[in-house]
Amino acid sequence: MLHLLAQSFLENALMPFQYDYMLKAIFTSGLIGLVCACLSCFIILKGWSLMGDALAHSIVPGVSLAYLAGAPFALGAFIAGITASATMGYLKAHSKIREDAIIGIVFTTFFAAGILLNTLFPSPMKLNSIVLGNILGIATGDILQMLVISAATLLILLFKWRDILLVSFDPSHARALGMNVKFYNMLLLTLLAATAIAALQTVGACLVVALLVTPGATAYLLTDRFKNMLLIASVMGALTSIVGAYASYFLNGSTGGCIVVLQTAVFLLALFFAPKHGIIAGRLLAQATTAAFHQQQRALRPSPPPTERP
Amino acid sequence: MHALLEPFQFGFMLEAFFLAALIAAVSAILSCFLVLKGWSLMGDAVSHSVLPGVVLAYILGLPFGLGAFAAALLCAGGTGWIKAHSRLKEDTVLGIVFTGLYALGLVMFTQVETDVHLNHILYGSLLGIERNDKIQAIISGAITLLVILLKRRDLMLFCFDPNHARAVGLNTAFLHFLLLALLSATIVAALQAVGIILIIAMLIVPGCIALLLSDRFDRMLLIAVCSAVFSALLGTYLSYFLDGASGACIVLVQALLFTFVLILAPKHGLLAAHHRPPSIENPPTSTLPPP
Repeated sequence: MLHLLAQSFLENALMPFQYDYMLKAIFTSGLIGLVCACLSCFIILKGWSLMGDALAHSIVPGVSLAYLAGAPFALGAFIAGITASATMGYLKAHSKIREDAIIGIVFTTFFAAGILLNTLFPSPMKLNSIVLGNILGIATGDILQMLVISAATLLILLFKWRDILLVSFDPSHARALGMNVKFYNMLLLTLLAATAIAALQTVGACLVVALLVTPGATAYLLTDRFKNMLLIASVMGALTSIVGAYASYFLNGSTGGCIVVLQTAVFLLALFFAPKHGIIAGRLLAQATTAAFHQQQRALRPSPPPTERP
Repeated sequence: MHALLEPFQFGFMLEAFFLAALIAAVSAILSCFLVLKGWSLMGDAVSHSVLPGVVLAYILGLPFGLGAFAAALLCAGGTGWIKAHSRLKEDTVLGIVFTGLYALGLVMFTQVETDVHLNHILYGSLLGIERNDKIQAIISGAITLLVILLKRRDLMLFCFDPNHARAVGLNTAFLHFLLLALLSATIVAALQAVGIILIIAMLIVPGCIALLLSDRFDRMLLIAVCSAVFSALLGTYLSYFLDGASGACIVLVQALLFTFVLILAPKHGLLAAHHRPPSIENPPTSTLPPP
């Protein structure tokens, strides 16, 4: 009886792997989760968290325009993303409006243009699959695009991570060393736009920012060394994406939603239980410090009070 | 000529005009405060995070506005709490919290059969909005408008200079909460009409247009409301002929208006900065606009 139960459970658990589209989805999600997680460590340090959100929304009109022009969608999306970030940079330098307001204006305008273009010229890539993601229906050609983007991003990060890290941590120091800070900022922005496009297909425009922030933030709570942070973030990003895509088969719903809910849950665990920077560790440390302080006070009490000034 | 007046002959179009103008006016007034306070992206986060509240309210049989309002407050409160208790930056925490809530909403949405259309929440549907929802939107819009107008001076001081506000004896914690609550209520009002993504634009752009045109707060409020109502009416009107996406049309008209103002504004525009005669504060070698 137990044996039968175990067998049927195993059969059910292995069910998703029998479908070609599920295998594709799980593999692609895992890869994109990994790449985004690597990048997220830099994004967090740089303070560009909401830039990822803005870029992910800004690339929507590019998808429609690429369809109209007959170009691959990643190209159109990339051009739209770079145009949006250039516009933000120009406005920031030439107007008295604050940066966060500029980001908000530019990305919502691009997004509105995307919605309008999509309703006026319906393309095979539905608006909903851009905004909500559609990894289960991903075409083989699109997987190829993802693979190229992911490989390029990982290679660049592998060879340049020390430079990008220095520029993100301390731009003035980097400049003093004679590094081209502007170039590295552009490089990071380009990588961000490229991965945002890759992530668009998995989780959709609204949730890209989660893949680009949550793994890095979780790792940041768990370690003080950048190499460890990269490692923890990548493992967490890849695993949550794989498990999330797998679980969405049983929940029969939004793959992107499952992945991001899982990531947020892991983040919350780290937030409370992280050994050094977690909330509980912080409370315990505070209690221990207070106790030590009182003990010290008690130990000091017998000694004569300091002589008063005349 | 007849074709141009066609939209005004339909009752549903007139109602759409009215609703769009009301929402635009409320969000424009709020946008002035948000732009000054530097909370532009708070609107982005809060508007996305209402989704689980809407679904939960549907399951419990409550008015959806209530659920959305609660979820919005949870997002704002959760962000503040996590930021205070961890070593993460505010924008990072904001990104994590709102995407977490939004994703939760998406997963819940796929598990529950609702008669709320996800597309209506995402992109808004000024014409397809139901009677009850319309009344909800009007009530929450009207309340927001009333509260802002009553508390205008306190909120303005709080946005400009919180330390000063505290020094003169204002309850800044309460004002902070009030501004968040007003933001949530505005998003609830706009939810079904323009959608949770495009409301972000309506909560930023009018304030920025007004900031470029005026240095006085009262005038800024007036300019923001006028520009927002104008764009809302024109956008809705254009969407009739373009057959759809009224929210997108409104936002694009606003963006166009912003671009004009950005270039042509008499004092803070790009052209004005370019053609300003050289002076002591503005030496001819400087390429940067004066602060």
